[in-house]
Amino acid sequence: MSTATSEPALAVTDLTVAFGRGAARSVAVDGVSFSVPEGGSFGLVGESGSGKSTVLRAIAGLVPAEAGRISVMGRTLGPTRDMVFYSTVQMVFQDPYASLHPRHTVDRTLAEPARLHRKPDIERRIEEALEQVGLGHGFRFRYPHQLSGGQRQRVAIARALMLEPKILLLDEPTSALDVSVQAEVLNLLDDLRRERGLTYLLVSHDLAVVAHMCSTVAVMRGGRVLETLSAETMRDATPAHRYTQDLLTASQGYREDS
Amino acid sequence: MSEALLRVEDLWVRFAKPTGGVVEAVRGISFEVGRERIGIVGESGSGKSMTGRSILRLVRPPGQVTAKQMAFLGTDLMAASERRMRQIRGNRISMVMQDPKFSLNPVMTVGRQIAEAYRLHTGAPSGEAARKTLEMLEAVQIRDPERVAKLYPHEVSGGMGQRIMIAMMLAPDPELLIADEPTSALDVTVQLSVLRIMDRLVRDRGMGLIFISHDLNLVATFCDRILIMYAGRIVETCRADALMEAQHPYTRGLLSALPRLEDGQRRLSALQRDPAWREAPSVDGYL
Repeated sequence: MSTATSEPALAVTDLTVAFGRGAARSVAVDGVSFSVPEGGSFGLVGESGSGKSTVLRAIAGLVPAEAGRISVMGRTLGPTRDMVFYSTVQMVFQDPYASLHPRHTVDRTLAEPARLHRKPDIERRIEEALEQVGLGHGFRFRYPHQLSGGQRQRVAIARALMLEPKILLLDEPTSALDVSVQAEVLNLLDDLRRERGLTYLLVSHDLAVVAHMCSTVAVMRGGRVLETLSAETMRDATPAHRYTQDLLTASQGYREDS
Repeated sequence: MSEALLRVEDLWVRFAKPTGGVVEAVRGISFEVGRERIGIVGESGSGKSMTGRSILRLVRPPGQVTAKQMAFLGTDLMAASERRMRQIRGNRISMVMQDPKFSLNPVMTVGRQIAEAYRLHTGAPSGEAARKTLEMLEAVQIRDPERVAKLYPHEVSGGMGQRIMIAMMLAPDPELLIADEPTSALDVTVQLSVLRIMDRLVRDRGMGLIFISHDLNLVATFCDRILIMYAGRIVETCRADALMEAQHPYTRGLLSALPRLEDGQRRLSALQRDPAWREAPSVDGYL
């Protein structure tokens, strides 16, 4: 289905996002550039306030970009996002307890994007999406409060798959989940990417999760990309930047004198 | 290390459901805490937080706590009056919760909150409380404590909020600190500095620390001893540095479900739960 092209699936060039004006102006993302090849998986890591989630939100059109260029499948995006964009790019949010409407059944949650996009075969899509995320038909008419955290995140992923997108923006998709559930969701995301040739942009504060999921990782701090490194470089703990080294050391656990 | 600060024997926490039936959150666990860092790990619903709360008798109705024995340095916590418990809570046994946003009073400066907590527990005059407040803020490595004491909770970052909480909880010099996921809302680098503060207190003051966490890696590197909880019971106990050699299939399952930097992109193994784990008797966690 997906042919290898030189055109990246997602390219971000000199992206700048700022909030406030005058003295209250703060630059959340400051000249960030990266690109993700089709079928690739790219990670953004950093601590809170580094701007990693804002990059994701700017791509999704949830916050306005002040400067820079974002292109998806070779098409440069304007200031607003259209239907074509959302059928290509979908987002999965951090907290499955907050991202699902508490009074909508799974069925209604999944049907909504398809209805908005006037898709004719909603029934088939719902059944397929549930199947793909490993939730059987039995979950279709449940409410979020009748689901566990892992099941909710599966529903959120199923909702993102309803429009058969090419690119998924994943904002800390497993940080609200237990490790055993996290393992299931990460495996699911891995399988989906392979089977459907999806492209991932994953934001996480957990270096082990990012190294597990992504082949290339950008380390962010204070709105800038400090360095972009391969997962191997991260595993070998041979980054160019001191800050990345500190993050890697810290992720190994506690040490008395560090 | 030999003397136990706290001894808990056969602790149960039960909740009666409005529809009838009972949920058993903690099912007959026994353990001791000495002047050490003891880690309680488990997933959500394993009963680890309820264990921490029941020590301070903070489980609200309809929750019911029973135990054969729950003794803190000779005081029977099960039999103590509510008045007596108020003297113990925050004074001799303190608790730090996960999220400083919900634990600090939003309409009071952090300095006043720390001073108030200190005066309440020690009856110290306000001048001394103010001095102690600055001293504690300094102890948790807050630069410029005089400025920070005048700030409101919304004006400080998450990491600073958590350090303020710890300063408040440690001001009365407790003998036992229960920390329920104290660092999971924090960035890794801030997390380590908060742990270092708690570590020093255990070493320097001989405090006991119950560290409740879902983070196996952190507990393995930070604590002395670990209790692993599953479905309200302790399924395994071990020395923290031997966690990677743990034997119980649940512990092993958790360890292999964890993505690791050094492992590359191997497929994570999903945890297969065995119903027998629920029914196996609880292992005791005595010293």
